Amino acid sequence: MNSNILEIQDLNVNFSIFGGMISAVRNVDLTLAKNESIGVIGESGCGKSTLSYTIMKYIAPNGQISGSIKFKGEDLLQKSEYEMRKYRGDRIAMVYQNPYSSLNPSLTIGFQLDEVTLFHRGVSRKEARELSLQALRDLNLGDPEGLVRRYPHQISGGMQQRICIAMAILCQPDLMILDEPTTALDVTTEAVILDTISELREKFSMSLMYISHDTGVINKVSDRIVVMYSGEVVETGPKQQIFEHPNHPYTRALINCIPRKGMVKERYRLNTIPGYVKRRGASEGGCPFEQRCQKKTPGCVEAYGMREISPEHTAACDRAYATDVPDMMDKLIKSHPVKSMPDGDALLEVQDVHKIFGKKRKVYAVDGVSVSVKRRSVLGIVGESGCGKTTLGQTAAGLYTPTKGQILFDGTDISVSWKKRSPEMLKQIQLIFQNPGRSLNPSHSVEQIIGRPMKKLMEISSAQQRRDMIIDLLKKVDLSKEYLKKKPPQLSGGEQQRVAIARAFSISPNLLICDEPTSALDVSVQSSVLNLLGDLQEDTQAAYLFISHDLHVINYISDYIMVMYLGRICEYGKRDEVIRPPYHPYTKALLSSVPEIDPSLEVGNIRLGGQLPNPTKTIPGCPFAGRCYVQAGKICETTKPPRVNKSDSHFFYCHLDDGA
Amino acid sequence: MKYILYQLKRSPLAILGIAILLFWIFLAIFGPSLTPFTHTEMDSLHQMAAPGVNNHVLGTDSLGRDLLTRIIVGSRSILTVALLTSIASTFFGIIVGFSAGYFGGAIDRAVLRMLDIMMAIPPLVLAMVVLGVLGGSSIMSLSLIVSIAFIPATARVSRGSLLTCKSSEYVDAARIRGESHLYIMFVEILPNTIGPIIVEATARFAYSIMMVASLGFLGVGLQPPTPDWGMMVIENRPIITDAPWAVFYPALAIASLVISISLFSDFVSKVLIHEQ
Repeated sequence: MNSNILEIQDLNVNFSIFGGMISAVRNVDLTLAKNESIGVIGESGCGKSTLSYTIMKYIAPNGQISGSIKFKGEDLLQKSEYEMRKYRGDRIAMVYQNPYSSLNPSLTIGFQLDEVTLFHRGVSRKEARELSLQALRDLNLGDPEGLVRRYPHQISGGMQQRICIAMAILCQPDLMILDEPTTALDVTTEAVILDTISELREKFSMSLMYISHDTGVINKVSDRIVVMYSGEVVETGPKQQIFEHPNHPYTRALINCIPRKGMVKERYRLNTIPGYVKRRGASEGGCPFEQRCQKKTPGCVEAYGMREISPEHTAACDRAYATDVPDMMDKLIKSHPVKSMPDGDALLEVQDVHKIFGKKRKVYAVDGVSVSVKRRSVLGIVGESGCGKTTLGQTAAGLYTPTKGQILFDGTDISVSWKKRSPEMLKQIQLIFQNPGRSLNPSHSVEQIIGRPMKKLMEISSAQQRRDMIIDLLKKVDLSKEYLKKKPPQLSGGEQQRVAIARAFSISPNLLICDEPTSALDVSVQSSVLNLLGDLQEDTQAAYLFISHDLHVINYISDYIMVMYLGRICEYGKRDEVIRPPYHPYTKALLSSVPEIDPSLEVGNIRLGGQLPNPTKTIPGCPFAGRCYVQAGKICETTKPPRVNKSDSHFFYCHLDDGA
Repeated sequence: MKYILYQLKRSPLAILGIAILLFWIFLAIFGPSLTPFTHTEMDSLHQMAAPGVNNHVLGTDSLGRDLLTRIIVGSRSILTVALLTSIASTFFGIIVGFSAGYFGGAIDRAVLRMLDIMMAIPPLVLAMVVLGVLGGSSIMSLSLIVSIAFIPATARVSRGSLLTCKSSEYVDAARIRGESHLYIMFVEILPNTIGPIIVEATARFAYSIMMVASLGFLGVGLQPPTPDWGMMVIENRPIITDAPWAVFYPALAIASLVISISLFSDFVSKVLIHEQ
């Protein structure tokens, strides 16, 4: 008897779809010891989720599984559907990505928790409720008695996800599978949840399988890492070894895609992996990464196959640092810093802008923000969801009119909606949306999409002239002219966002508002989009208003950073001033919540409890007071914090002169 | 296209539906020249003849008129009315539904209440009253009345599918480059909502056949001598014990056409939903 909880051997999952058989998981061998935590990383479409569903033996009817999945010595694939019920939710628990769709909105939280033990343990209702309350206490959730009476929509997303985790631990499972449990949540909430998961793992000595595309998160929760690419495991080994010396070129490329602490656009380009994960037919073999690999040489595909690097560490390829091919990563460091900090006059000036939604029940989305975007500079706005950053961006773009206050663009008042703006003004400001799948009309061709603003706002009526310009633009965003006739659904997420960027630049705007342009994309695509936006900014000298919840991204791309909380400014300054002390307590909390991928870096330990205060109430004091960990005293609750100027360009709003 | 064939191969019911539909379309176009009789010709020697007697493939009615010929000729008018009706009601439905959903607010509420009022009157009763007042109906008036009766349903479907697309970011993108309302409605939104609207239109095609047949049955349909399937059923009802085929075949014609269109409509929705 060995101590392995899970042993997967030669697992293959194929789906038969229109167009033949495709392979979702192939030749996967994996073991998971008791108390061990493995992290599965890879881009979307690499078979991570399919692998987890296959372990639960829960796949669509057009799927075929072969191989074996031994759970505590018993092969799950031989079990009947009825027998599997004893495992699902009892011995193997799963937590999904979207808590709001995995909880039933019409049942109380208590009822949904009770169901688990009622079914698996056959306990009475009263005992079941007692167990549910105990599970909530184990997660350190305040007021469990109140919580069980509520419905899922009455609590925040982070809280919902913790309820899902409580549900998973109710039967004290041997194995807990977490499928991107924090991807839909804010960094501050994510940090709290990751801590909870680590605590629970110790408490109940569970094994964990943590699936994520975020290497930072994986670094935080797992001991061993499994890298998947196109359905195959390409590398597996202890965390330290994988991060410090990856063997597979894909692992190395993936790790380097992420903008890390201290990476800024003047000095580095981000690593990219050209192309995207292709679906493979069941009969296709060979190296799955071949087409995107920068380290391939003739003959390397024949040598492809799992090999042992060290007793714990195996990889399908060991060419990550091969020297017979020039290393592209060296070119990423820019030899000469491109430019100094732009310090011109203001292009966009936001003056005490308020945006209140609703008439009776008022939501203070933006609550008195004054900031300016300087010519040729990038202003990054960062904050948790619900802090008003998107509303501010869309108000500047003209989708909303400010309730109070003024927005000046180049001296002209534009605090009116798009209907009243002149075509010239519409041309000057362009917006890039978060989700390119939704911001490009799926029924229009790429040529129509990019050509329309040219026709409408630049009045270029010759179709041939427009087409030439579109081909030029496509070249700038690394797309060929074959894309002219394609429609957005035929493109990958990264290609779609490139088309959206091309559309925005088609009429040479002076200000580009980027609303989370990379957060719906894979890390490898995110890095190429960020590189592209950086290059285009250098070329066109346009100013950016860049909105993101990801501090690393903001830090990489911005010249100035504004931290927002609950519709107000927390801190504003030049990039280096904001990310170094002294800072506002909230900025510090955000910084310490971001998961780092460098195992040697010191990790911050500030955790924000609670959630954003109700935006429908006016707050007399500091909006952050309820969650702040360094309070100046009663004054925080009663008086608005004063502006503390730290330099000509750097200030924050806090009662403590030195912040945190 | 390849996908349509792929789906078609996997749905025998859709093939059946399309086959029956094509059969009726073929008969409507070429049928009259294939039978030796005309639809008004009375074979006085063979009244209430059983199918097969004296070349009357489906028999004759109480006046000795050839049932097959009358059904074939009747298919022309019923298909014409159904086609006109589904096109017209979809067209008006899009205009009403889109303007309500797009502008929202007071316009939306006013239009919705109006549609509610129209819906409160059963379409059949509405059509009966109007046709009764007009006293007799032609293909055009019948199509017009039935399409008006169908507008509430098509308008609601159009409005609903517009609302799902209205909040898309490509609409925002169009707004901030200063596009007109008409451009946004018909160039940006319409192509993306066309799927459910087409499905609704095919369903309306089936409903309008039911409706025309019912009106014919109630005696306010197309006026004689134009043969009308619903009218044929009621005409021959008194002789149902002596010549059941005279009622059965027109009824079968109505049922087969309606079912075939429903099957076709299901298939259309399956294919279009995949495309989205």
